[in-house]
Amino acid sequence: MQLLWQILVNGVLLGGLYALMALGLVLVWGVLNIVNLAHGALIMLGAYACYYLFTGFGLDPFAALPVAMVLLFCLGYLIQRHVLNLVIRAPMFNTLLITFGLEVVITFLAQITFSADFRTVNPSYAGANFVLLGATVPLVRLLAFGVALGLTFALWLFLDHTGIGRAIRATAQNLTAARLYGVNPRRLYALTFGIGAALAGAAGALYGVVSQINPYIGSSLTGKSFAIAIIGGLEKSIYVLVGGLFLGIVEALTALYIGPTYTDVVSFGILVLVLIVRPTGLLGRTA
Amino acid sequence: MKNLTLLFATMTLLLGSKLFAAPIELGASVQLTGQFANTGRYYGDAYQFAVEKINAAGGVKIGNAREKLNLKILDNQSDVNLSVRQYVQLVTQDKVNFLLGPFASDFALADSAISEKYDIPMIQGGGASDQIFSRRYKYIFGTLPPASDYFQSTLELMGQLKPAPATVALLYADDAFDVSVADGTRKAASKTSLKIVVDQRYSSKASDFNSILSLIKSQNVDAILVAGHETEILNFIRQAKTLNVNPKLYSFTVGVPSADFRAALGQDANYAFGMTSWVPSVVLKDDYFGNAEQFANEYKKRFGYEPDYHAASAVGDVEAFVKAIESANSLDPAKVRDAIAKVDFDSLYGRIRFNAAGQINLPQTVVQIQKGKLVPVYGPKGLLEKPLYPMPEWGKR
Repeated sequence: MQLLWQILVNGVLLGGLYALMALGLVLVWGVLNIVNLAHGALIMLGAYACYYLFTGFGLDPFAALPVAMVLLFCLGYLIQRHVLNLVIRAPMFNTLLITFGLEVVITFLAQITFSADFRTVNPSYAGANFVLLGATVPLVRLLAFGVALGLTFALWLFLDHTGIGRAIRATAQNLTAARLYGVNPRRLYALTFGIGAALAGAAGALYGVVSQINPYIGSSLTGKSFAIAIIGGLEKSIYVLVGGLFLGIVEALTALYIGPTYTDVVSFGILVLVLIVRPTGLLGRTA
Repeated sequence: MKNLTLLFATMTLLLGSKLFAAPIELGASVQLTGQFANTGRYYGDAYQFAVEKINAAGGVKIGNAREKLNLKILDNQSDVNLSVRQYVQLVTQDKVNFLLGPFASDFALADSAISEKYDIPMIQGGGASDQIFSRRYKYIFGTLPPASDYFQSTLELMGQLKPAPATVALLYADDAFDVSVADGTRKAASKTSLKIVVDQRYSSKASDFNSILSLIKSQNVDAILVAGHETEILNFIRQAKTLNVNPKLYSFTVGVPSADFRAALGQDANYAFGMTSWVPSVVLKDDYFGNAEQFANEYKKRFGYEPDYHAASAVGDVEAFVKAIESANSLDPAKVRDAIAKVDFDSLYGRIRFNAAGQINLPQTVVQIQKGKLVPVYGPKGLLEKPLYPMPEWGKR
């Protein structure tokens, strides 16, 4: 019983980070209709930004997080404006290919620049923990969970309650109508992709604190984010929390009761099931 | 006059062909990029370094002539399928004389099928899985000791520790090498009083070990043995700290001997046990590099990072080819293959002598990270240095 409680705590904390990882992907997918296969590579860049701010400038990783977000926002804005915008009207297959290409290029440049050495962001409190009702709670995971929750909530507020946020949602729903109301989609798309990249940057900064980083972590993170997006559904950004927590808990339980070698099989098996049974996601409206 | 020019030209051509005889081509497909680039680089760099040194010393003696070695390295981007295609290309298009191996058992397992099919000898220093050598292939040789023996010396050491560890958790990744390690460890442990209470295989891409660590913690296990990859082991140790898991000892198949492993973990790397088939000491003499210590220093200066046993094993591969070609006195693949089977020489990596299956046997020295330094603690002759045991709890370091 004690063990089960510990596993659930682990799963929830992991799920929070998962949700943040997928949040940017979901936003870009929902608004721009681009499945950004370079999303994991952007997370990787966020992790390196945090690493260099921490080791080079002694900046605490949680203080480095907003800086990483700003850097990634700028990069995302530029990528959308000068690369993706050229194919925004192209079929989905083309955008898939172009983001796949971006992923390969970013990963390669990262290896050239950062080398293939494994890095960790290791602040003095990285190993700190406390006991809650008999379960050990790692402090950094809890902080990461809090940040993930906060950013998801902030994005939801932004999209639902600000002018720009509404414009973004309007563009996603009906481009022509949004244009008639004076929305400039080109700027808005770049802004959205920038926000998506910034969220990837935040996820990366937290990822480096709990895990090791190297230039090749991107593709598996994209895969995971994709599964979460599908499980949660694209309808509302807040649903991604459900997808992340669900996957985190399922993986933790699978590792314990079925065996750690089966976690990927189970999570992607669920992805397939969701696509068949509830294609709009667990919380999405059924057609 | 015209005849004289022609004669001169012919003579130059003849002389030229004698002076610049086609060098001996060695080919390899190595992980220079991709997820295994971190370890793959040892092979790319060490092959290159060994070939340069051997050429500088005059090359390889065949009959009365001395032939230079030429190395062709292709980057397989850490993709097994690509590496198989590249070995086919090396043999059929580039017509290399002999093959050097890739890093990692999964790769060597697949690529050795090519050397076997085309009857071209391959000496590889990157794959230790017993599976590579259990298929009775004739053209594959390996300079890493058998995977099944990796934890052998660690188990011996554990038998001498006080208070003796009683329970063990065995974790291993689901690739060819780590499965072989686990099989061998299980067998060896059954001959001791140790009891394996957790025995779990995990997915090679795993980054989260919280569930398994929680299980280990709930069972209060004395010793944790992990056979996996460096990325996983880094995560494992960090997560063990955050979940406050405190075994009396833990040991890892890879990572511990590598400098960047210690750099990535900092103080948290302390107390971790590992193993290496190679310790860079002056005792290991070498025809081209002087000794292992000199090699390690030169290597670090040349490439900017410390070599570990992967690099030494790779140098051993190249030197084994040189010895075999010289003793066969020929470039004929079948003759060289038979000569490789008979080589027996001392190198900076240790004594290289292949058994009937094509693998060498070197003892694994148990190493431990003590105060940020890599310390050999237990070798074939017993204790070398006092192991720090039991590990202090995370909160009391």
